[in-house]
Amino acid sequence: MSRVERKNKSTVWYLPAIFKGLAFTFKKMMLNLSGKGRMLTLNYPEEHYSYGPRFKGNHILTVKKDGALRCTACMLCATNCPANCIKIIASEHEDEEVEKYPIAYEIDILRCVFCGFCEEACPVDAIRMGPEWQTAGINGADFIYDIKYLAQRNTLKGGVLSRVDDKERHKAGI
Amino acid sequence: MSKKLIKCKINKQEIEVPEGISIIEAFKKLDQPIAHYCWHPGLSVAGVCRLCMVDIEGIPKLQIACNTEVKEGMKISNQSEKVKETVKWGLEFHLINHPLDCPICDQAGECELQEQYMNFGQYSPNMSERKVKKRKVIDLGPQIVLDSERCILCSRCVRFTDEVSKTHELGIFNRGDRSEIGSFKDKPLDNNYSVNTVDICPVGALTSKEFRFRQRVWYLKTADSVCVGCSTGCNIKVDYNEEGLFRVRPRYNKEINGYWMCDKGREVYRLPNRKGRLLEAQVPVPRFHGDDGHSHVGSGHSHENGNPSVSSVEILQKIRKLFLVDKKENKNANNVLILTAQYTNEEYESLISFFLDNLGTEKDIFYWKNNPESFNDFDGLLLRGDKNPNTKGLLEILENKKTLNSWEDLESRLSTGKLDTLWVAGPENQKVYPKLEDEIKFFESHCKNIIWWTVHPLPISDLQNTWQIPTKTFFEKEGTIVNFSGIKQKIRAVEVLVSAALSLSESVTLLKGEELKKEEPPFLKPPMKTNYFPGKKKVI
Repeated sequence: MSRVERKNKSTVWYLPAIFKGLAFTFKKMMLNLSGKGRMLTLNYPEEHYSYGPRFKGNHILTVKKDGALRCTACMLCATNCPANCIKIIASEHEDEEVEKYPIAYEIDILRCVFCGFCEEACPVDAIRMGPEWQTAGINGADFIYDIKYLAQRNTLKGGVLSRVDDKERHKAGI
Repeated sequence: MSKKLIKCKINKQEIEVPEGISIIEAFKKLDQPIAHYCWHPGLSVAGVCRLCMVDIEGIPKLQIACNTEVKEGMKISNQSEKVKETVKWGLEFHLINHPLDCPICDQAGECELQEQYMNFGQYSPNMSERKVKKRKVIDLGPQIVLDSERCILCSRCVRFTDEVSKTHELGIFNRGDRSEIGSFKDKPLDNNYSVNTVDICPVGALTSKEFRFRQRVWYLKTADSVCVGCSTGCNIKVDYNEEGLFRVRPRYNKEINGYWMCDKGREVYRLPNRKGRLLEAQVPVPRFHGDDGHSHVGSGHSHENGNPSVSSVEILQKIRKLFLVDKKENKNANNVLILTAQYTNEEYESLISFFLDNLGTEKDIFYWKNNPESFNDFDGLLLRGDKNPNTKGLLEILENKKTLNSWEDLESRLSTGKLDTLWVAGPENQKVYPKLEDEIKFFESHCKNIIWWTVHPLPISDLQNTWQIPTKTFFEKEGTIVNFSGIKQKIRAVEVLVSAALSLSESVTLLKGEELKKEEPPFLKPPMKTNYFPGKKKVI
């Protein structure tokens, strides 16, 4: 590494610029202290920035009216996922009308790129990207979201209702 | 007697076909695409789906290709707008009562309805009536689940039970749009060929319980192989992915199995799967603990069934040292080689010649037959009583080496009490050796050392004298097997599921004191060029 020696005398005049900058900072500080300035930062984690409803954050698995999972384990989301972060294990349901359902549904959120392809691929509106975006955790296991977290976590307040209802579909003759 | 050849034109391509074949067969010969559901090359012609419409010059109306014979000078086409329009409307009629089940349907991905829809779909359906609801998830015997709503009434399965299995369980009941496929009073479809109906079902009406919901078909890769369930040697396609094997399906072979295979044979997909396999070599219990003054072998941990397990390469080198070089275990010992007919010709050749060179003579080689009383059974279609894939090959090799000692000879020899070391190429499929446990106990009580090549751990735990070496299954090794009628078939190595497993030839290489050839790990192989998407497999 070589050090560049600047011979030009004019480059010594850096002090005015520094004082100018300090003056600006001091002015902002005084304004903020007196409550007159517009703060650009948030007091995280007490304050949160709220994104719009269309923000693609953490996934939600929707539920049916009876509270059961809407997901039919068709694996289209897992197939469509470019990050390969969705893992589903399907099983036979006791109810003939349901027939197939997931016994395990895991999303590795650290691998997820939040592209929203899973949401797009889903034929029954079972997976959505919600407005939550904070993905803090203590260890690796915290970042693998299981069925319970995806469908019934506290912030969802009992689950999000899917727009697709089999019974209404059948009534309509489909 | 060869039939007279006649000339015809299909989509402006000239072709010579034998007299009397149908137009659809001529299309298949030319590899021209033609939509069809009810026609199957292994079954009779029904002509019910009305999808294989073709335009024949000189005939004003369209004809179905499956039930029209080719005549001299015919000019046939299925590319005109008229044909496409007809197929489109035919498909629309098929879909009138077909439910929107694709997400939960097991057939999705290999469904002919989906495939034809991509070509001839009426993307805005004109149907405003309600769909007719039928019964779903009907338990139809030990292997099959029926969904009569998805059925398009092609009658392939009905014809299969009438013509091939000749068990006549299935039929079409009711009339009009209430027509339903099923069995009389839901009597179970319980024959040894029932899963073939799942294969030929063009939609998801019949699904296999064994495979149901276990994997979407687009996650599976397919490899060609040969069934090792019995001596018929049916040609199969194995569907597998990185998680293991999921099912086998029959592959067409005119000489051996035609288009079919039996349900028993479909169980062979379980053999290579890691579940239940012997994952590492196992040494006898007292040897490991050093109770009787022997040195410790390897640094293994105890396996489930009590015997300590070690690396298979290490164990074979140890065996070489103990039995061949130092002869510490093998002083003045008689060696006996016992062979089951579940390995390839190449493996037998290398093991037998190694044995003859180093360990014993022709008198010491024995052929182990599993079920002599039902050995020559045959169910009239495919399944044979001889449950070993390579009996013929082994017997030929043994005949060439002039050693044909049977199980009885072995029993009388073991009873003399002279025997010290037993080399056993054990069965790959242990289920078909019903008396296996007694036989292991018999060996254990008569011999001091047993070296046993096996795929699955032996059913008895805490074996005192047996060294178990994991071997490769039909899915993992290359070789030749000979079926009951003497047809030689190659099997090829697809993927290795248990890294410790060695084929007999590889074991022999190690016993000779040579190094194994290092194989390229699978991730260094060139990547697959075709994608997993169903239908037309395009290059990415």
